[in-house]
Amino acid sequence: MALERRCTRWVWFAVALAVTALVALPFYWAISLSVRNPRDTFTVTGLGVPFVQYRPTLDNWRTELGTWETQRALANSLIIAVATAAVVVVLGAPAAYAVARFRFRRPSNEDITLWFLSQRVLPPVATAIPLFLIVRWLGLLDTRTGLVLLNVTFNLPLVVVILRQAFIDLPVELEEAALVDGAGHWGIFLRISLPLVAPSLAAAVLIVVAFTWNEFLFALMVGSLNAKVIPVHIAGAGDTRGVQFWFVAVRALIAITPPVILALLAQRYIVRGLTFGALKG
Amino acid sequence: MHREGRIKLLFILPAVAWVLCFTVFPLVYGVRLSLYNVKVGAADEFVGLANYRHFLEDARAWASLAVTLVFVGCGVAAQLVLGLALAVLFTRAMPLRGVMRTLLTAPLFATPIAVGFLFVTVFYEEGGLVNGLLGLKVPWLSHPTWAVVSVIIVDVWQWTPFCFLIFLAALGGIPEDCYEAARLETKSGWALFRHVTLPMLQPTVVLVLLLRITEAFKVFDIPFTLTTGGPGTATQVLTMYAYRTGMRFFNFGYASAISVVVFLMVTGIILVLFRRIRQVYQ
Repeated sequence: MALERRCTRWVWFAVALAVTALVALPFYWAISLSVRNPRDTFTVTGLGVPFVQYRPTLDNWRTELGTWETQRALANSLIIAVATAAVVVVLGAPAAYAVARFRFRRPSNEDITLWFLSQRVLPPVATAIPLFLIVRWLGLLDTRTGLVLLNVTFNLPLVVVILRQAFIDLPVELEEAALVDGAGHWGIFLRISLPLVAPSLAAAVLIVVAFTWNEFLFALMVGSLNAKVIPVHIAGAGDTRGVQFWFVAVRALIAITPPVILALLAQRYIVRGLTFGALKG
Repeated sequence: MHREGRIKLLFILPAVAWVLCFTVFPLVYGVRLSLYNVKVGAADEFVGLANYRHFLEDARAWASLAVTLVFVGCGVAAQLVLGLALAVLFTRAMPLRGVMRTLLTAPLFATPIAVGFLFVTVFYEEGGLVNGLLGLKVPWLSHPTWAVVSVIIVDVWQWTPFCFLIFLAALGGIPEDCYEAARLETKSGWALFRHVTLPMLQPTVVLVLLLRITEAFKVFDIPFTLTTGGPGTATQVLTMYAYRTGMRFFNFGYASAISVVVFLMVTGIILVLFRRIRQVYQ
């Protein structure tokens, strides 16, 4: 009986290990491709273990990171993501606090929350053409400002809903005591409540940065040249270079690595973030 | 709740104004565009429901709709089942659990456009990872059916971790007492799962369904790079069809009509699941 139980335990452990290996395989494959000399691409077969099957090289990385187009795309992506996160927090945090702490009658607090939530659920393609025309009308085509404006729009509801839950989870007594002491609502919000939700705020910012970094449809429509970001930079590769595995792998990893690292940093808060505060992770 | 006057409006109005300007207004504007024939360099011409009538007669639109529904249906179903199975597996104590959990989370935030490109090399017929490892000759990207399968596989790879994480969190929230009481009745693990775990998870399943279905309808990046909608138009999902109609052929009116159709479908699904979701947020 005990032996049998130990056996099943190891079987399940093996299954978990196998699934994890399968999920991680594409990442491994990308790394393996990215450090291959181009002439080894098709001669090395199977899993392509570096050092065993071929001599790894960093040349592909050096070439790709050395071009100014890649550097500019990286800079654009970074600036747009950080600026988006900043604007979203400035607009979203007070709104989240209001929905969490003040009583609204018509529409009610729940209605306001769901209204924000529904904006996030909306398929972007429904507003893609009008937003393109609006950005063009504002004269912001192919500018970083235009892309920040769009990304703020997509991420604002997310941040409102995440932070709302964080504010609700705070004990209200602290704020009430401060109110009795004569502090104003803005003072309480800025000096007491906001610092207390710092972990959720950080998680929300990481998620917004990752989403903005990954956004492609609008980046493609609005930023084709000067405001070209990493995903658009990558998408242009297929047309001109065909399928050059080592090259695809390097570029894919350049794009994938930052958001994946951010996600791992925010791991504890991801569940809450992705369910818009409905579930605690 | 605080007692307050007008100040609450100052907190909330900037965000509301932003959403009204850049989400609600464009949506209304999009509906208006869908009723017009929009030409570059000429005044818009009102055509009533002509764009929608065109949609009904457009074989490509129907094909896109079919691909989208297959993609959403199969993809989300697979993610839900696999995610739940994985989550149940990971409730067991085992070595390396934290490390494996972290690795399983990784695909979630990987840039979709880059993932699409990467999987071109994974599914490449000659010298790609899958065919190379398994000694197969499956035309993953050049056969219409296999191309749809490939797109679904990539989506499942990327989004199963999402279902996994949420179910894992929800499983952790089920009180142990429920199981203890049920164990008096049965010893079968399946019966416990069927009669305790599943009913307790029901709100979570609805939530995951809502989030995944609405997100899956937005799919664009993966087919854009992995298959470029092809071969032919085999993987041209509705968002891609709308994008091409609008941005390649500058037929803004018809593209808006397609977008409105997508929007109405997603809204319909939300309304069906809405009452359940409302309970979650109260």
